[in-house]
Amino acid sequence: MNKLMIELTINGKKRKVETTPSTRLLDLLRDDLHLTGTKEGCGKGECGACTVIMNGELVASCLVLAPQADGAVITTIEGIGDDKCLDPVQEAFIETGAVQCGFCTPGMILAAKKLLEENSHPDEEEIKRGISGNLCRCTGYQKIFDAVKLAVNRLSSRDGGRSEKDA
Amino acid sequence: MYQRTVPGQYFAPHKIEEALEILSKYGKEIKIIAGGTDLLVQYYDRLYEVNSWLDLRNISGLKNIRINKNEMEIGAMVRHAQLEKSEDIKKYFLILSQAAADIGSPQIRNRGTIGGNIVNASPAGDLLSPLMAYDAQFKLQSNQREMIVPAEEFFIGPKKTILKPDQLLTRIILPLPKEMTYGCWIKIGKRKALAIATIILALVVKMAEDNKTVKDVRTCLGSVAPTPIEIKEIRKKMVGKYFEQLDFAELGQIVEDKISPIDDIRGTREYRKDVAKNIMINALEEIDSARRLYK
Repeated sequence: MNKLMIELTINGKKRKVETTPSTRLLDLLRDDLHLTGTKEGCGKGECGACTVIMNGELVASCLVLAPQADGAVITTIEGIGDDKCLDPVQEAFIETGAVQCGFCTPGMILAAKKLLEENSHPDEEEIKRGISGNLCRCTGYQKIFDAVKLAVNRLSSRDGGRSEKDA
Repeated sequence: MYQRTVPGQYFAPHKIEEALEILSKYGKEIKIIAGGTDLLVQYYDRLYEVNSWLDLRNISGLKNIRINKNEMEIGAMVRHAQLEKSEDIKKYFLILSQAAADIGSPQIRNRGTIGGNIVNASPAGDLLSPLMAYDAQFKLQSNQREMIVPAEEFFIGPKKTILKPDQLLTRIILPLPKEMTYGCWIKIGKRKALAIATIILALVVKMAEDNKTVKDVRTCLGSVAPTPIEIKEIRKKMVGKYFEQLDFAELGQIVEDKISPIDDIRGTREYRKDVAKNIMINALEEIDSARRLYK
């Protein structure tokens, strides 16, 4: 198998990685870069456990070939919050009990982050649609919806409720 | 006939011409990848079987939606999310936008492309029935020549098309509607997200200037035959008639009688026949109320 070099920006850091044409982005992240926060569930784009943000868009990293991500800017769960300070979405997930086994959580948080980036005050239907590509087998989803709503409140009170008034 | 490629070649050209050159050399020895949302599922666990890849992602000439005089041209690499959000598509081809919005999940819509959906040629392909209903044509290019074929001639069986190994689907061409046009899109699946359709109906009705007489109609269905199909008998029954005099139940019955669905995990033949009739009636009712609202 031919090797090839690709260059990508992952969580703000430029990385050069040797890979093969048939390596999935998911495997590159987990096996080559040891970013194991990104999970493999179904491997077929149905469960969302492998979700990452690539060039500003939510994608299933199991359905992206590594060379397709050449030059891309990628955010994985490791790029959200840091050791000292969690992201408000992460805090909300913990506080509402939206994390049970935790396997869907990285993908779920990235989907929620992306949703709130595009729509700072989603209604229930919009929340459901925003995370419709992510399966959770523990929570029954209600606590995840609650978490997203809590994050919405926190974020809007943080910016002085400005976006609420604007809307 | 075609050259064997070196194992594991990965081509990502920037121009259509370069892609066609690569195809003319390697033909079916190479796998074309667009969004990959169908392809990588098909090759799950056996990616090693793919000898070489032709990745279309860098070809900017395939990513645009543009209007030329009387038609819209959609590049084959336009993603479902783009179709869903495009104001031009909402304005002229509303049910194509609705169909795109119903595909998979955000993750899938951000990667999957219109060209991939067409070439994959699944009988359940979400965009195929709306494209047929809007009289879409496909531009196929090779190094040697280019041709434009109507959507209904392109599909020849489940996952089978007339596309030759050296050809690339580059554009989708849709005539801009001249008449008052109403459309209805219905997809029945087991759940809202990530459902492969059990049955799809794309109904497009063009009205005469009086907004009462049917000028033309396309009744296109998916997941009910080896390819997406149009029920042409509906044209005979509707064209030239006053919409309010149509017998919706009779039209629904024709749809039920003319489809040939199979039993599979998503639904039985009998279920699909029943549902086909009912969604046809629903779609006609929906178009009727939209028509009445428009003065």
